[in-house]
Amino acid sequence: MVMGTVTTARKTRWALLDIVIVVYALIPVLWIASLSFKTKDTLADGNFIPREWTLQNYADIFATNEFIRPLINSIGIATIATVIAVGLGMMAAYAIARLDFPGKRALVGVSLLIAMFPQISLVTPLFNIERELGLFDTWPGLILPYITFALPLGIYVLSAFFREIPWELEKAAKMDGATPAQAFRRVIAPLAAPGVFTTAILVFIFCWNDFLFAISLTSTEAARTVPAALSFFTGTSQFEDPTGTIAAAAVVITIPIVLFVLFFQRRIVAGLTSGAVKG
Amino acid sequence: MGKVNARRRVRSPGRTTAVLGATVVGAGLLTACGSEGGMKVNVYYAPEDNFQSVVDNCNEQANGRYQIVYNKLPRDADGQREQMVRRLAAGDESLDVLGLDVTWVPEFAEAGWIEEWTGANKAEATEDVLPGPLETATWDGKLYAATKNTNVRLLWYDDRITPEPPRTWDEMISMSRELRERGEPHEILFTGAQYEGLVVTFNSIVESAGGRILSEDGQRVVMDDGAIRALEILKEVSSSGLTDPSLTNMQEDDVRLAFQGGSGAFQLNWPYVYASYAEEKPDELEHFKWAPYPGVGTPGSGRTTIGGYNLAVSASSQHKPEAFEAALCLRSAENQKFSALNDGVPPTIESVYTDPEPLDPSQPPDPEDNPSMATEYPMKDTIRESLKNAAVRPLTPAYQNLSTVMSKVLSPPSDIDPQGTAEELREQLADALDSKGVIP
Amino acid sequence: MSETAERQATSERPGGPAHAKPGKAALSEGKKAERRLALMLCAPAAIVMLAVTGYPIAYSIWLSLQRYDLRFPDERQFVGLDNYVAVLSNSYWWTAFGTTMFLTVVSVAIELVLGMALALAMHRTLVGRGLVRTVTLVPYGIVTVVAAFSWYYAWTPDVGYLANIFAGEGAPLTDRWPSLMIIVLAEVWKTTPFMALLLLAGLALVPDDLLKAAAMDGANAWQRFTKVMIPVMKPAILVALLFRTLDAFRIFDNIFVLTGGSNDTSSVSMQTYNNLIKGLNLGIGSTMAVLIFITVAIIAVIFVKLFGAAAPGSDQGGKR
Repeated sequence: MVMGTVTTARKTRWALLDIVIVVYALIPVLWIASLSFKTKDTLADGNFIPREWTLQNYADIFATNEFIRPLINSIGIATIATVIAVGLGMMAAYAIARLDFPGKRALVGVSLLIAMFPQISLVTPLFNIERELGLFDTWPGLILPYITFALPLGIYVLSAFFREIPWELEKAAKMDGATPAQAFRRVIAPLAAPGVFTTAILVFIFCWNDFLFAISLTSTEAARTVPAALSFFTGTSQFEDPTGTIAAAAVVITIPIVLFVLFFQRRIVAGLTSGAVKG
Repeated sequence: MGKVNARRRVRSPGRTTAVLGATVVGAGLLTACGSEGGMKVNVYYAPEDNFQSVVDNCNEQANGRYQIVYNKLPRDADGQREQMVRRLAAGDESLDVLGLDVTWVPEFAEAGWIEEWTGANKAEATEDVLPGPLETATWDGKLYAATKNTNVRLLWYDDRITPEPPRTWDEMISMSRELRERGEPHEILFTGAQYEGLVVTFNSIVESAGGRILSEDGQRVVMDDGAIRALEILKEVSSSGLTDPSLTNMQEDDVRLAFQGGSGAFQLNWPYVYASYAEEKPDELEHFKWAPYPGVGTPGSGRTTIGGYNLAVSASSQHKPEAFEAALCLRSAENQKFSALNDGVPPTIESVYTDPEPLDPSQPPDPEDNPSMATEYPMKDTIRESLKNAAVRPLTPAYQNLSTVMSKVLSPPSDIDPQGTAEELREQLADALDSKGVIP
Repeated sequence: MSETAERQATSERPGGPAHAKPGKAALSEGKKAERRLALMLCAPAAIVMLAVTGYPIAYSIWLSLQRYDLRFPDERQFVGLDNYVAVLSNSYWWTAFGTTMFLTVVSVAIELVLGMALALAMHRTLVGRGLVRTVTLVPYGIVTVVAAFSWYYAWTPDVGYLANIFAGEGAPLTDRWPSLMIIVLAEVWKTTPFMALLLLAGLALVPDDLLKAAAMDGANAWQRFTKVMIPVMKPAILVALLFRTLDAFRIFDNIFVLTGGSNDTSSVSMQTYNNLIKGLNLGIGSTMAVLIFITVAIIAVIFVKLFGAAAPGSDQGGKR
């Protein structure tokens, strides 16, 4: 396992494996993209590559507020919910991993219970509460449930990782003359980063993709997110599926995810290489 | 791409609407500013591309007394019903006018969520309305909604494959067999997936065979000989290789696409398929023909099942008089014609079918920019005739349970054992009617 | 990172739970302060979770004990466990239960293997690490309904490329087993990245020096994987399995789009939806929700017992 000796043969082997992975992950995505570029009369021809290309579907979705406004809502709501959920999750996870206090198991247990309850049966009571409180059809009205259902995962993942961090390193760094802030920034933060950013990505994607709450707890473009907005797209008539525009919208809303992951995966790599692992 | 653009215009409101819309919006803004208090009438209705223009139109007519707001519901019927029910059950006072699928009226009426129509409102809402659609707006002898638009399934065929359409299921089956032997497109395409569409198919055949699923008052399960005959037909057509291999996964648009793809000889579907065909295969449109729904046994006995939407007034509305007025305007003959021409939803008012005027009466009719009923609905007489003798899906507050159970028991249609399946339906539908037990 | 830290890391890590608690000698004053800090840290998360879900969950349980159909509000009454008897003696429920179990076990098992392979590749690849990591997460980022729709199209005869290649004359989505396989495929494709990402973060905790040491001791790649990596990754594996299982058991979107529940492919969540939301039968629907909840809770308990020490908050894990 000596990482230093990198031969061309090994590089080629990895490159081949990478290609397999890329194909596995992307073929169905490319199929959606292909659907989005097809004209209506060639939509169902079974060709993987469109025979006639069109940008009409993209022009259509950007022509009205019915897509743009939800896109803004989605970005705002998912980002805010992710930041809050990861923040609260880190606090709780730190306590669970590092501190001794009564009710620890209860907290972990309760958060798991929440993660397990079928969300579909919570929608109606939540709807009633939110209407009473004036939260219905607002950003906080979606952010709150998103935080709630992201927290169990966040707490669980983060505490599992925090427990594995060798906190003694902090002490060692201090003995080497680092201030507490430096010790945290140089030693603990890099070690915690993979867990934190992993959690952030998962939470973001959860908020980004949610359909059930989005469709049930919003009624106008004030807070409707993209997955919910998709179900308001119309074909030229009641029974016609707006496949083309839905595919185009799906392609567009995948782009922020890719950007988000691109941004964060560097942080994960950074966390690894500056930590105990020397690439 | 240019071609697509040009064709898209067929379905878009076009020049006239744009002009109409602009003036209406202007007027709406002016009156909204000058109105006292700004009373809002909230309409909850399915997404329909040009319904906002209709709303604007009615706002102009209201002349500032109230402002109709169009709250769009999701595209799928279950989603629409779910959103409205959740609000109604919570006693939401902000709902005024509700767009109800034709099968929901008994349920909403029985639960006390919608108001009865009486007096002058009733007279106006029933005037010149075709009997089939009107029946769907009625429950327990009372009128609970005004019909907005209707829909009927017709038999669609290609006159290059079969110059004469079949008149009965038996004819259709034997024609399909012959075509198959000759190696020509022969499939009989209909909605066979496990969902409401399969129930519509089944209900049409039952009614065509003169049978009944429920008793007249919707209280008892009947499943008579006609219903059993329908089970036999459904089984025969789906187990003899005469239909699409994907039958048990086909909904309306799958049926349309399969037919357009060239594998079918016959398609049982709503009239929207004509507009789509015109848009996507304009060169072959002249061969795309329609006929009344096939009968059972004797030609002419076919009864198609009614679809469409009705407008009801919420019982918890705070502005009921205005809500009634707004609902009446949204489904007026003029607006039904507008919706029929722009959004492809067939009218429920008989006179609209014979209206010779195009959308903009001052200009000559033109299929692209200024459509008329004649250019957009060449099949309008068939639709109107079908509506006069159409089948209504069983009217009962528990319809949703009934439908879920029926689609489950009938799926896959090739596994139907007429007597056994009928017995199973009798038992399970009885439970579903009482809303007892579990629905699949 | 300083030399000291690295030495510390390698000497401390392998011991795992074996080393002593640093706070052991702390006075009760310190203990109290620690508790206060812990409660302060946990309070916000706990309050948010309870505030949003406490009432709805309790309400669902209460509803499950009543005959309550929104369309017949007058017939509302307390019926005890009647709803549970009705659901548990119903064959539809058990068919759906079996289907759901099958889908859960098969897809989670495949996901674990594929996810581990993917994580190793993401971790160790020498070329295009950024590309692989990003691309892998794209399936997870796609809206489930849209992805399901694309699979539906792909497997519809004539319309889809997969059906044209693999299915020949048949229509795979119209038979039970092919349908289930396609549902598994869609589920696995969509959520393997979730597994992979959690496992990758776990892999990051495996110290390289340890692997090197093991290699020098003559351990082959498989031994290094099972003896060194797996034990260190245990918490990550548990978390990934647990959350995927909880999630998979509630499968809804994929089935809804792909088959609509035909040919006995309906899941327990779809039945809950049909009874609760479509059927407006709040009693029966809530009963199903509670039953799903209980089943999933049992699965979770089994998992935690199986992995024992790995569960956060459990005492065997050794709190530090």
